Amino acid sequence: MVRPDRLPRGVPQALGSELSTPPRLRTGAVSVTFGRNRVLRDVGFEVGAGEIHALIGQNGSGKSTLVKVLTGLYVPEPGATVEVDGVPLRLPVRPLEARASGVAVVHQSLGLVGEATVLENMRVGRLRAGRLSRRIHWEHERAQAARMFDRLEHHVPLDTPVHRLSEEDRATVAIARAMQDTPPGGGLIIFDESTRALSRRSLEHFYEMLDGVVRAGTSALLISHRLEEVADVADRVTVLRDGELVEAGLPVTRRGEGELARLMLGRNLAGLSSGGGHARPQDTPAVELTGVAGSRLDGAGVRIAPGEIVGVTGLADSGYQDLPYVLAGVERARGGTLVVAGNPVDLAQFSPMAAIDAGIALVPGDRERAGLAMDQSVAENAALPRTGGRGSRLAPIRRRAELAGLAPWLDRLELSPRDPHAVVSRLSGGNQQKVVLAKWLARAPKVLALHEPTQAVDIGARETIVAAVKDAAAAGCAVLVASGDENELSMLCDRILVFRDGRVSGELTGSPGPDEIVAAVFSSTDRRPLRGHNEERGLVP
Amino acid sequence: MTTHDTLAVPARSQSLGRFGSRFAALAFWLLLAVLYGVLRPETFLTAGTFQTIFGSQQALVFLTAALLCTIIVGEFVDMSVASNFGFAAVLVAVLTVNEHWNVWLAAVAAVAVSTLVGLVNGWLTVLLGVNTIVVTLGMGTFLLGLGLWITDLTPVSGLPYDFAQIALHPIGSLPVGFYEGVALMLVFAYVMRFTPLGRNMRFVGANREVSRLAGIRVNRLRLGAFTVAGLIAGVGGVVAAAATGGFDATVSQSYLLPIFAATFLGTAILEPGKFNPLGTLLAVYFLATGILGLQLLGAAGWVSSVFYGGVLVIAVTISTLLHRRVF
Repeated sequence: MVRPDRLPRGVPQALGSELSTPPRLRTGAVSVTFGRNRVLRDVGFEVGAGEIHALIGQNGSGKSTLVKVLTGLYVPEPGATVEVDGVPLRLPVRPLEARASGVAVVHQSLGLVGEATVLENMRVGRLRAGRLSRRIHWEHERAQAARMFDRLEHHVPLDTPVHRLSEEDRATVAIARAMQDTPPGGGLIIFDESTRALSRRSLEHFYEMLDGVVRAGTSALLISHRLEEVADVADRVTVLRDGELVEAGLPVTRRGEGELARLMLGRNLAGLSSGGGHARPQDTPAVELTGVAGSRLDGAGVRIAPGEIVGVTGLADSGYQDLPYVLAGVERARGGTLVVAGNPVDLAQFSPMAAIDAGIALVPGDRERAGLAMDQSVAENAALPRTGGRGSRLAPIRRRAELAGLAPWLDRLELSPRDPHAVVSRLSGGNQQKVVLAKWLARAPKVLALHEPTQAVDIGARETIVAAVKDAAAAGCAVLVASGDENELSMLCDRILVFRDGRVSGELTGSPGPDEIVAAVFSSTDRRPLRGHNEERGLVP
Repeated sequence: MTTHDTLAVPARSQSLGRFGSRFAALAFWLLLAVLYGVLRPETFLTAGTFQTIFGSQQALVFLTAALLCTIIVGEFVDMSVASNFGFAAVLVAVLTVNEHWNVWLAAVAAVAVSTLVGLVNGWLTVLLGVNTIVVTLGMGTFLLGLGLWITDLTPVSGLPYDFAQIALHPIGSLPVGFYEGVALMLVFAYVMRFTPLGRNMRFVGANREVSRLAGIRVNRLRLGAFTVAGLIAGVGGVVAAAATGGFDATVSQSYLLPIFAATFLGTAILEPGKFNPLGTLLAVYFLATGILGLQLLGAAGWVSSVFYGGVLVIAVTISTLLHRRVF
């Protein structure tokens, strides 16, 4: 697909040509203040031509703020500069102007509108009209769109609504759309957490294509929570911490995610990847599901001892992600049995309320829709299992007791700001996830069902959350983790069940590592790097 | 990993279902007409019925067009269009009859005021971020009150004859107002179907941030939608005042429910699951047929409330179900 011999090399060019040509993107002295809070201080960094440059930082590091300055949502303080190929942009950045100078943005979760067709998604905002009729010339638009797919050497049917495409094709459309704004061999594409919803297989496809684009000379600025992804694909990395620049344009060569995490946090992470170790398999199982049939499940079963952390994973359509919801009575199963601590439960009559009464707690994957009431306070959200459950509905809520019960969890989970009255929507993603967890851990559940508990959460919060879940397990709680993220699973689990076609097809025991998990899921050889790395790309030492 | 994996629906059954839902409402309309024709052939199957159905709905056509402007760019929902329309109508009458302005000047002034009201609505919701429903509900009630005040709570009439011609001049057997409404909807449909502006409006309605990053001037478009909604409501009000020779401020409130009923019913016609101008236009006449038939069958004044209210509930339900199935 790419011809390396005829294309410019990435990083050497970026670093070596500093004197002759200006960098693709240069920001200088970008500061942003909200009220009395300075969230970004004098940030300046450069993205070279033809490189993948990653911008990393914890939640609250100012990373999202910087991106919002680059996409024009926030106004930086006077004195800031943003230059593209040496030409300064007017501030605040106007999307149309940025586009004219070759900067494209791929929005979170690819930024496509599902019900519109591929062609419409490709061309919206760029549509041209006839002078008199004001009609769109669809043949022209179609040709423009097709040209981009030709450049990518991947083709997607133009008239299909995007929601009917496969995940890989959606990724292709997102890249193709961004490429329209970049001149061939030039320009910059900003990926703002664009890949967070992509499965492993789609990620490989995504970076294979991006690699081709970057080799042709276009630059990419990658904003991602996933350090393993950054370590795999980025040429250089810029690190923000507490609104300040820690590293600007550090070459990534052979730096593992551990070192990136250290840069980001400013400290070492303890035990980044160790499994559970609290299992007491000799006990009667805390929970046992057998022969579960549902919309995507077909005879699935799992048995978890008290203190054990069991992961379930598989391909996106294998049904593993339904299991926590069946266990928590949210998704009604068509058949199967459930035994909780020796007591059989009627799955056909199971409900969330019955599950809570049985000591089962669910931390759902979709935090914004199912995990939290975003405009309520931390304390109110955390108290919901109590105020929403059975009991005397009309008795006044004892706020003092409510807060007292919550306080240890705020400390335990290092909630920041540590304010039980803070409105949840104002917290960063990692802290929101901690609130969801606190809400259920405060009730000392016997069984904890988790769906992607550390998704879109920075590495520091991830560490805290993992530790809290392990503590719960150490106290005798049985934990089920459904996840498509091999790193999360390997950090948490004692053993892992791999799903295929709605049932368990394999089991990994003894705290399996990420590579082992991916290999089992794809049952292919082993996890290949997301982008042909190191020597092949000829990085500077 | 996503939990919403798309289901591969066979293309043929999809298009059959689409075809079916496109025209189901039209078939139902035809059925309704046949039914009334059989039950009351002597009164229903007359030219007068035809003229009543197609010649009396201009106000509703203008009002639904105004509502569509904002609904398509994702603003749920502008409650002030009916009052804005009513205020324009009252203003023409008051300025001409009571204040002795030139009627054409009064008409221009009324349209300008309505447009300004739309701009204020837009300014409050788009630039200050105030909740759309609350702002427009308040604005609507405010305008209704103003209208009652300047008319001293009584209907004002006595607009000149040649002014009435902008609404009533007959072409064929229908008043010119009918053609004005149809022309408005055709232009609207053209913009939505064929122009970049229409496409951009739909994308802003679907996802504002995606649209902004695609280079669409989102806020300008939303502000424009509110302003044009005010403009259309104002023109509609002036035409309505011309048709009746004056206006009663309280009348505009009776339009509120039919506007929503027709607009939501419109999502079940021609382009299932989408707010669309031509579907809405057909829905207006569909509703008029239903009401008129019931009245000819002997139902009393309460029937329009029952019918419009019932249709609104059914139409919203159909619209929701269609949206779920199509997307």
